[in-house]
Amino acid sequence: MNTHNAYRQGFPLATALTALVLFMLVAGSARAELLIRITEGADSAIPIAVVPFAESGAMPAGDKVSSIVQANLTMSGEFRPLEPSRMLSLPAQRSEVYFRDWRMLGQRYVLVGQLNRSGDRIEARYELFDVNREQRILGETAGASVNSVRTLAHHISDRVYEAITGDPGVFSTKLAYITLNRTGNDTRYRLQVSDLDGKRARVRLESQEPILSPAWSPDGKQLAYVSFETGKPVVFTHELATGERKKAADFPGLNSAPAWSPDGKSLLLTLSKDGNAEIYRLDIASGNLTRLTNHWAIDTEGAWDHTGKGIFFTSDRSGGPQIYHMERLGAEPKRITFGSRYNARARPDAKGEYVYYVHQRNRAFHIARINLKSGEESVITRTESDESPSVSPNGRMLIYATQRNGTSVLTVVSANGGAAYSLPAADGDVREPAWGPIVR
Amino acid sequence: MSVALHLLIMGVALAGWSWTSPVSEPEPTLISARLVSPEPRPSPVVDEQDQRDLEQERRQQQERERQQEEAERRRREEQARLEAERQAQAASQAQAKQREEEQKRQEARARERAEQQSREQEAARQRAEAEAKERERQRAEEERRRQEEAQRKAEAEQRRQEERRKQEEAERKRQEEVARQEAERKRQEAERRLREQQLEALADESQRTREAEARRQQEAAAARARDAQMLSESEKYQSLIRERLSQAWYPPSSATEDMTARIQITLLPTGELVSARLVSTSGNTAFDNSALGAVRSLSRYPVSSDRNTFERYFRQFTIEFNPQRLR
Repeated sequence: MNTHNAYRQGFPLATALTALVLFMLVAGSARAELLIRITEGADSAIPIAVVPFAESGAMPAGDKVSSIVQANLTMSGEFRPLEPSRMLSLPAQRSEVYFRDWRMLGQRYVLVGQLNRSGDRIEARYELFDVNREQRILGETAGASVNSVRTLAHHISDRVYEAITGDPGVFSTKLAYITLNRTGNDTRYRLQVSDLDGKRARVRLESQEPILSPAWSPDGKQLAYVSFETGKPVVFTHELATGERKKAADFPGLNSAPAWSPDGKSLLLTLSKDGNAEIYRLDIASGNLTRLTNHWAIDTEGAWDHTGKGIFFTSDRSGGPQIYHMERLGAEPKRITFGSRYNARARPDAKGEYVYYVHQRNRAFHIARINLKSGEESVITRTESDESPSVSPNGRMLIYATQRNGTSVLTVVSANGGAAYSLPAADGDVREPAWGPIVR
Repeated sequence: MSVALHLLIMGVALAGWSWTSPVSEPEPTLISARLVSPEPRPSPVVDEQDQRDLEQERRQQQERERQQEEAERRRREEQARLEAERQAQAASQAQAKQREEEQKRQEARARERAEQQSREQEAARQRAEAEAKERERQRAEEERRRQEEAQRKAEAEQRRQEERRKQEEAERKRQEEVARQEAERKRQEAERRLREQQLEALADESQRTREAEARRQQEAAAARARDAQMLSESEKYQSLIRERLSQAWYPPSSATEDMTARIQITLLPTGELVSARLVSTSGNTAFDNSALGAVRSLSRYPVSSDRNTFERYFRQFTIEFNPQRLR
């Protein structure tokens, strides 16, 4: 009976031991599941093969659609398209794609397509494949008139970019900039609007007097700029479709640095009508002015932050020009740049992550950006004499003006500074670029 | 029975009858009759007058007168005769009376005798009846007694049978109880044996568990030593895989530092990828795809050639993509 009791007590003990052992085995096997963390990606751009599109029917002369797409992706700094001469085959549809070949070439994505001319229209059928996953991630048909092959190519570029990166593409957006030509005694300032790659540029305004600071309205239909055509700086708004111009600000003294509000109803302006340069908000419909800054120092170059409720601006109230942020109109401005004695012309991105600005270091001017969350400032251009930064609507690219061989040129860089792409040189100086909005 | 009863009753009646017959009939007493009544008187005559017509009446009158004479004469004769007759009649009447009385006496005697006889018969009958009744009663009594006796016997018999039945029942129960106790004993015995077996089994099990535990502990110690070696081996290849994947991963521009995707992969011992499965999404399709693309881009994973290390760490594992430094 004693032994019986002893075993009675021993039995749960044995059970508990068994359970413990089982638990240890389970825990052991769970512990054996390895986890490898990847916290850094490749520093290089994504390899993609843009296969020249098959063509059926007469195509217009000039750049091929696939060439434009390839150039666009290259310009973004995020892609590294494969030279077509290195391609093993030129598939035009899925059945012709051999993933093994593309994987051997180290490609991540393959874009194939075919163009069909139908009257004065061109139809593009294109497909984008993920080489490693062997999956089609995009397939579409798009069409455009024979004269708008570039529009079609930019559209395809946008779709490819978005399918791979998850961000909207900006290849269909427009640029506005000012060119300066001097021929003898004749000086010509021209306000021009072109594709992002500088193609299809059109002069919107020509003047012998300086034109400065073009700014896009949020809907992409108007520009505001400063023109000296009347002998003094005056802010105009300019309807692109009709060419209709209006004087938005013609106050005594300085009228400069226009910036559209996100709702398109008002402009930020720098006016000196009250003594020194201050920032005002102009309600376009009513013409009412609201003064936003009031300081003995110069306050200028206002820009709306991503919330549409606060502004960044440049002020030399600390002795040299620095960037300030006024989180709410009328609130006390806070200085955000400290890295050097000169930081000016703030251009915030649309996500509220970074602000780009002109930054002087060692007598050279670069474009830098500050991470608003961490306060970390980093220089992203390697060129000197850089000015007029303008951020792409998706925040991934930046265009700015810089000097090359004694003339001013425009350069596009990826927002992290990883790649640089200079726009084809136009005659003379090109400066004051303004990146247009995405127009859906 | 009834026949016998009737014969019995008849016999009894005859006996009774024979018992009464010896009664001697009394001698008829002599009657001395004597005429004590006065002279007999003539009895009133009743004229019978007929309805007749008148001439007849006259003739009849004459007739009647003649007749009256005649009648007178006759009446006197008659009277005389009557007187004689009366006298004779008186005598005869006396005689008759005497005879009658004698007869009456005889009759009375006879009647008396008959009555006597009847009474005797009645008595005999009553006696017989009484006797019959008595016999009947006795018989009934006897019958009752017999029945009672029979009943008593039957009851006694019943009691006896009951008793026997009870005894048998008791016996049966006793035997059943014995059998039950035997079965119970056997059951307990079997139980006891089973328990003992179980206890033995438990003891064995416990012993085996202890031994197994000891063995496991030894093995665990050995395994820990092996694990340490495997871990360093594993870490070497983990680092190689991390490096290769970092080079192969192109985080999309939409990636943010708080995005994390986890992919579980299965490898062959040769390092070839068998399967890659997204087990935790970053919420961003481009990001997930970039991670999947990176995982699938390696044609061969650097894995340990040590089979145990491979099975333990690299047969199946999870890769987490989480950009700490964005370009």
